[in-house]
Amino acid sequence: MAELKEITRKLEEIHRKIKAEIPWEPVGPTPMPEIPDLRQWDMRLLKTYAPFYAPFCDLCCFCTYGKCDLTEGRRGACGIDIATQQARFVLLACLMGCSAHAAHGGHILEFLIERHGPDKKIDLGTFIELEAPNIRTVVGLKPETLGDLQIALEYVFKEIAHLLDSCHTGQEGSALDYESKALHASMLDHVGMEVADIAQIVGFNYPTSVADTPLVDMGWGAIDKSKPVILVSGHNPATSTVLIDYLREHNLEDQVEVCGLCCTALETTRYSDKAKIVGPLSRALFFMRAGIADVIMTDEQCIRTDTPQEAAKVGSAVIACLDKAMYGLEDATDWDPDEIVRRMVDNKEQFAILDSPKAAEVAVKVAMEIAPKRKKEWLSEEEAIELAKKCTNCGICEQVCPNLFSIGDGITEVAKGNFDLIRQQFLQCIGCGKCEQECPRDVPIFRLMQVAAGNETWKCRAGRGPVMDTEIRNVGAPITLGTIPGIIALVGCSNYPDIDDIADMVDEFAKRKYIVVLTGCAAMVAGMKKDKDGLTVYEKYPPDFDAGGVVNIGSCVSNAHISGAAIKIANIFAALPLRGNYEVMADYVLNRVGACGVAWGAMSQKAASIGTGFNRLGVPVVLGPHSSKYRRLYLSRKEEDDWRVMDARKREIVDTVEPAPEHLAYVCETKEKAMPMIAKLCIRRNDTPQGRAVKLNHYISLYKKYIGAGLPEDIHLFVRRDPDIPLVYKKEVRAHLQEIGWQPREPIGLPTLIGTYATKVPLDAVIH
Amino acid sequence: MSAVLPRHRVNVLTGTKSARLIEDAAEYADFIKKAKRPLLVIGPLLLASTADGKLLLEYALDIAKAAGIPICATAQTKGKVVELGVKPDSVYDVVEIANALKDPEWQGVKKEGNHDLVILFGIRSDLGNQSLSTLKHFAPHLKTMTLCKHYFPHANYSLPNFKKDAKWQEFLESLIANLKKGD
Ligand code: SF4
Ligand code: SF4
Ligand code: SF4
Repeated sequence: MAELKEITRKLEEIHRKIKAEIPWEPVGPTPMPEIPDLRQWDMRLLKTYAPFYAPFCDLCCFCTYGKCDLTEGRRGACGIDIATQQARFVLLACLMGCSAHAAHGGHILEFLIERHGPDKKIDLGTFIELEAPNIRTVVGLKPETLGDLQIALEYVFKEIAHLLDSCHTGQEGSALDYESKALHASMLDHVGMEVADIAQIVGFNYPTSVADTPLVDMGWGAIDKSKPVILVSGHNPATSTVLIDYLREHNLEDQVEVCGLCCTALETTRYSDKAKIVGPLSRALFFMRAGIADVIMTDEQCIRTDTPQEAAKVGSAVIACLDKAMYGLEDATDWDPDEIVRRMVDNKEQFAILDSPKAAEVAVKVAMEIAPKRKKEWLSEEEAIELAKKCTNCGICEQVCPNLFSIGDGITEVAKGNFDLIRQQFLQCIGCGKCEQECPRDVPIFRLMQVAAGNETWKCRAGRGPVMDTEIRNVGAPITLGTIPGIIALVGCSNYPDIDDIADMVDEFAKRKYIVVLTGCAAMVAGMKKDKDGLTVYEKYPPDFDAGGVVNIGSCVSNAHISGAAIKIANIFAALPLRGNYEVMADYVLNRVGACGVAWGAMSQKAASIGTGFNRLGVPVVLGPHSSKYRRLYLSRKEEDDWRVMDARKREIVDTVEPAPEHLAYVCETKEKAMPMIAKLCIRRNDTPQGRAVKLNHYISLYKKYIGAGLPEDIHLFVRRDPDIPLVYKKEVRAHLQEIGWQPREPIGLPTLIGTYATKVPLDAVIH
Repeated sequence: MSAVLPRHRVNVLTGTKSARLIEDAAEYADFIKKAKRPLLVIGPLLLASTADGKLLLEYALDIAKAAGIPICATAQTKGKVVELGVKPDSVYDVVEIANALKDPEWQGVKKEGNHDLVILFGIRSDLGNQSLSTLKHFAPHLKTMTLCKHYFPHANYSLPNFKKDAKWQEFLESLIANLKKGD
């Protein structure tokens, strides 16, 4: 009895927080879900897509009982086994990612509420009524003001504490439960990201409800180094937007060059199309070492930890603008700005200034004072050739290279006057600097690569934020029927294995009339390749969320708009209620929305949580080869696994045989393998014969193009009846099917996992 | 035993159980011959050629032929294998085959029972070493071996880091010769 009372009280509390009395939709079964609430859904997913662990270390060193050797079935002193330890590590990574975005959201929100007040209305423009699909689905709240966003964020912060608690020594003893927690943390990440980006759009007036955002310049060649140059680096636009404001107010926008690295660059170009994008994180150290920036303003996430040291070497000034990275610098937030400027200019001191307007003022003044005195020259090819002659091609640089290639080979060629190889290698270089650190001959590898990279410039479309409701209405039917073969989301870091891969993937899938969406560094590097006519994919393809469109959604936090678009299809197109109804949304996406994430160069913990959040929502993610170091994938075994689902129309369980989608988190070794895999992962059980034929057409044709040799070996699993076979390959596929004794099977009316496992969700909830 | 460092430092072992380093082709051949159901997993690095113009894949196919080992073609390798006139016994990616191998009940690519020796050849070293880690920890019912020119700590048996490709090629040729010699 006492327990029941507790539940009611708790539910009442949740209902109060989510303003349940506002009846925009009935409240579903899981508003503000806690750890156990979606566990059944996770376990159902993990039954088909079992965690696959590749331990990066054999040991655990988390507590003073250790180090514990976990090989050959051994358990640690706390009782944990190797699989559970991997899952715990994955949860920690996802929590770091989730916290990074949520704290970013928290900071931005605080900053904007200070500026506009908590009652500032959320308005994302004429074409976006469903403003916050993740928040509405997960939290159950329809946020109307900045203050409402805070309610969502407080919920996320609370859950993070519980999840982090579970990582403590001597608790959770099940890998599957840790995975469920990782899925929970990562779902929360999408809520945190959504809060952050909605706040930014509303508070900074970013473009919204528009597809055709400006094309902005990208590449260090685009930067006018004759002007004072301020580099903003990181993810949090509180710094850079205030800087732009300062320049505008003082009529200095044309006199000072503002450029950005990583997501802050994307954010800044959403605010000002005069700002330039230097490039993704992998270009950070190159650009810093070039000394082009007079002032570097750092904020948070994926900024280098050695920024102060690197900047000091080339005489760039540094201001740390956020508490996440203060670098041991003196906190000058409360000082008089002119005093800070004087000390930065005269004594070359670096400071933390945690007040954006003050940081902006100081940055501009310092940049204008020191720029005329600084030399900013690129190395000439002749000088490079001379310097390259120091290299003995000893191979030490290859040993430490995280991307496993020999820059020494490239440098040996430079010494001979040939820059071709090093130019190619520059595209594979993640810019970590380990090679130069180890080189026994002190070859200035970075400066040599800079010469090779040249001063080429490219175009990137400024990020546009959420997909419009009107666009969802147009594409909902063709996506769920399968005639638009899929939504390909290229997200996150772009460092590995070769940055050209991203542009190639965009081109391949846009050409084939998939919808291609991009975020973060991947969105930048997509523009860093030109076709034979000198056009980037942003110039070549329309910016619409429609077949054949290439859409830059925005920075890392804009990933929430991609998961949001999938939810919007279920809610706007299929009219399924979303409020506190996560399981129904995820089940719909898994079974009917042919979307595939591609985190090809993923490096960070944020990428881990972004990807895992997509997984909980039923979106598979393809990763590059180095991502095996994330330790965990979600794989099915197509021949052995159980592919039964409920046909909600007939109310019976049907064995579909088809692994659709086949995996949830998958590593491909090469781009060649990834191409057909991405196409395959867009196949859904809901496809009509016409839609399935379109999808199989691309699967087969990509397979033939990149792998060669006949038909995909699993093609029979995806052909239900003859009309599923694409026309072009009719003869070949029919002959193959006959040879292996394939039997036709009925397509399923309304596929769902609801009803195949214990859940509070009634089967009727998936019928619209 | 002092630790052997892998060629690529990202693969350095944090642990206690590392591969036995073997330089003698005859010894390697013996392990392969003794295996009841070996499997050769080939990767895309074999699509490159040696300095003298030999496709690395040819070594793999020669080894498979000499010892009658079934092949699993990963990534895009199937195309070239078929072009060279060989039908691979199975086509999986390295993570997929590792996932299947982990299951002691799996019947193997020949449907004759799970494999007892898995030989990795031509897979990018970080992915290769990670896949070997999976097998080391979760497939105690089988042994693993590598034929690449670098040391792989997570395997059971590995070659050393060859300083010169020619030495490695010599090893591979000697291995083929040893496999061809009956016992
Ligand atoms: S957390 Fe457990 S396994 Fe890790 S060091 Fe402590 S006792 Fe050992
Ligand atoms: S470590 Fe230095 S000397 Fe050795 S190959 Fe690399 S660049 Fe050349
Ligand atoms: S900076 Fe580039 S070349 Fe050097 S070790 Fe890092 S990734 Fe390799």
